[in-house]
Amino acid sequence: MTRLGQIFLGLILIFLYTPIVVLMAMGFNESELYELPFKFSTRWYSALSTNTELLTSGFNSIVLAVITAVVATSIGTLAALALSRRTFRGRNLLQLLLLPPIAIPWLITGTAMLIFFFWTGIGRGMHALIIGHVALAVPYVVLVVGTGMKSVRADLEEAAMSLGSTPIHAFFAITLPLLFPSILGAALFAFAVSLDQFVISYFLSSPGYTTLPVQIYSAIRKGFTPEINAISTLLLLGSMTAILIFARFAKPGAPK
Amino acid sequence: MSNFSRRDTLRLLSAAIAAVGASTALPARAAGGKITVLNWKGYGTDEAWSLEAFQKATGIEVVHDYFSSEAESLTKMRTNPGAYDVVLLNSARVSTAATEGLIEPADLSKVPNAADVNPDLLANPNFTIDGKGYAVPWVWGMTSIAAREGIAIASYKDLAAPAYADRFAMDDDAMIAVAMGALMTGQDINDPQDLPAITEALKSLKPNVKMLWSSEDQWNKSFAANEFDVSVFWSGGAVRSKRNAKLPVDFIVPTEGAIVWVDGLAMATDAPNPEGAAAFIDWMIDPKFYVEWATKVGAPASANAKALAALPADDLSAQVHKPEYMVSKNVMSAMPDERREAFNNLWQEVKAFYAE
Amino acid sequence: MPNKATPQRASKGARILPQWVSTTALLLPAYGWLTIAVFLPLLTMFLFSFMNKTPMGKAPIEFTLRHYRAFIDQPYLIKIATNTLLMGLWTTLACAILGFLAALALVRCTHGARRETLLILILLPFWTNGLVRVFSWTMVLRENGFLDNIWHWIAPAAGSIAILYSREAIVIGLVHGYLPYMILTCYIALVTIDDAIIEAAQSLGARWWVILTKILIPLAAPGLISGAVLTFVPVIGSFMEPRILGGKVGVTMGTVIEDQFTQAFNWPLGASLSFTLLAVTMAIFATFSGVLRRGTGGTA
Repeated sequence: MTRLGQIFLGLILIFLYTPIVVLMAMGFNESELYELPFKFSTRWYSALSTNTELLTSGFNSIVLAVITAVVATSIGTLAALALSRRTFRGRNLLQLLLLPPIAIPWLITGTAMLIFFFWTGIGRGMHALIIGHVALAVPYVVLVVGTGMKSVRADLEEAAMSLGSTPIHAFFAITLPLLFPSILGAALFAFAVSLDQFVISYFLSSPGYTTLPVQIYSAIRKGFTPEINAISTLLLLGSMTAILIFARFAKPGAPK
Repeated sequence: MSNFSRRDTLRLLSAAIAAVGASTALPARAAGGKITVLNWKGYGTDEAWSLEAFQKATGIEVVHDYFSSEAESLTKMRTNPGAYDVVLLNSARVSTAATEGLIEPADLSKVPNAADVNPDLLANPNFTIDGKGYAVPWVWGMTSIAAREGIAIASYKDLAAPAYADRFAMDDDAMIAVAMGALMTGQDINDPQDLPAITEALKSLKPNVKMLWSSEDQWNKSFAANEFDVSVFWSGGAVRSKRNAKLPVDFIVPTEGAIVWVDGLAMATDAPNPEGAAAFIDWMIDPKFYVEWATKVGAPASANAKALAALPADDLSAQVHKPEYMVSKNVMSAMPDERREAFNNLWQEVKAFYAE
Repeated sequence: MPNKATPQRASKGARILPQWVSTTALLLPAYGWLTIAVFLPLLTMFLFSFMNKTPMGKAPIEFTLRHYRAFIDQPYLIKIATNTLLMGLWTTLACAILGFLAALALVRCTHGARRETLLILILLPFWTNGLVRVFSWTMVLRENGFLDNIWHWIAPAAGSIAILYSREAIVIGLVHGYLPYMILTCYIALVTIDDAIIEAAQSLGARWWVILTKILIPLAAPGLISGAVLTFVPVIGSFMEPRILGGKVGVTMGTVIEDQFTQAFNWPLGASLSFTLLAVTMAIFATFSGVLRRGTGGTA
């Protein structure tokens, strides 16, 4: 049974990584039009090394994604806490309200934000991007952490309190460590939502400040080159290393 | 599209918008030092070699903001008053921008090269409204047929031939699709009277339609992967594909003629740097820039007669953009919103039919 | 999703302040943020959906309900909507099955650091750009693409197995994009299972399907529901995957709505279609979660 499960996981990984491997391989393919057969070349990496616009936008994207992940995870976790641990009138409505930001295509939300931010004077620029990205990531955080809350048994917290622990202490000592995997997962999603977000960034970034997805999205009219694959590969390998090191050292409250 | 009766509420609203906009406009930039251009990405104005030369010649730095659809460009102008200096506008959109006060009439005395612009284009009602020229015609191009080398196509109707079963790529653009349907059925591309006939003509292509492309990138990569043989495509795009990517493609204008579009450069209302904007527009229609752009990169046809004449005779751009293709009645023009909506719904219906 | 089955007594501890104060304090940052950045802008858009034209020009605006009649005036939209819902259904179903099994395998067949590494590896493909990822799929699925090449290498005589530009291709691309959500949410729900429960069931002679349907699936229900929300809801509004992977069959509500915003400049119609779709989605989930809550209320 264990063998079978591991084989299945292997197949899932193959499925998930098929396009990723192709993406990485094409960064080393000579043809500008991604033509096959494959012909090895490092020209796209050398082109990338002098493409400051692309590199800057990649850097901007990471900064933005980190800020988004931190802010969205913090405020989303608080909301998830209230939604799953408290009963109050309107709770179902609040939960249903998480759907519109996910359901309404980003194009519409982005247009709406552009108009609204213009009317209210929020304007465009990095601050507007942070506002938009966090808002889009929050529902994901609430849903993921909320799922975790449902599975962490509330009676443990209660038991701690009946033994004299304060609610805050009980939360930090019992619930938070148990929730750690959910919170980490939610943060990873928030990071991904921001990193992949191009429509809203497109509307809200000011001239001169761009993010990587915006570069890709505006390049698609004329054609994006394997430089995009090169920078995507570097970003992915970089984050993979960073997060694996992090997982090694952070030792999340033992996943039971 | 004329005769807008303005209602007071709206005037109030726009005043409020303007007030908010004024207070939130981008921070003041060093006078004379910088201009902001709103255009498609990779469409001439942002060529690095040209911008370097321009900065060397005038000391003006050029910053770009991009749009991904014409509708979006108008939205960006409306929501960023005072942010842009130069904006690119299609012939069909100039009147909308002008009546809304988004662009100002061009002061041709500051654009010396405008004297060489094809006078027919300059006086074209799409650019000149109430005797005032709003945008300087910059380049024109065509949307017609691009086919693998060796394929001959005499008429748009040939696209439905069984020989191209599952080998045709259509431009996913409602205006282009309807215009092509109008040409297939012998109607005016800007004001066809028999829309059901156009629907039928477009539906007849279904067995041949392999895909609908929505970007030059997608067209190039799919053509390179041998996914289709015939397609509806842009003249400038075909030149770039053939010259830069060495793709075996020919641009064909069938007997019905091509769908022609003209793009102009306009000065935005309340441009922070009007002098710089005029200098940049002048630079863009200069034959020197055009020849370099057309031969190095691949471009549509210049609206500047001298610039077109300066192209080497064997140049691909010159061969594709024959002056006789530039027929005024085939130029995509401004139209009422209701008609635009009808065209879009027609194309949605045809696409739904393709998808069945 | 709402889960009333766990009325909490844990909040008994908050004594100093009335409970609503702390509840509000917990909710305010997230919902305040959402109000400014999403709800108010979308409310504006909702207002626009009743206007006769996009209210950005200077032409007079009239209020109308006609955009909400689109499904009657343009009957071909019904067909598109049905196909879109089916696409969402298939994608969600495929994600639910694969995601549940993958999460189960993670929980039951892996341990410790290895499990963490695997989980991270599953989430990482997410960190690449969606557009680039979908484009990579075209190179895998197209004729003479990667998959076809491998197939010809294995079976040189056989025909092409290219499936680019089909509904299957769209679903593959979508499943790839949303599977990690489902795996993570199912994993979070399943990781709390007590081995003792399963062992007890086994020792009592329960067959595997009994364990699956009576223990595992009910336990995973909160994860399956959240995962379904995170998959189905964005999928029916998606336009990139259908456009790029679907070819001529890639016409969905998402692409129709996108066209209204990019080509047609008809925001009211685009918005009304989108809000109609939202209403349908909310109705589906309200019904669905009600049923599920009754079905699994005791165990979740």
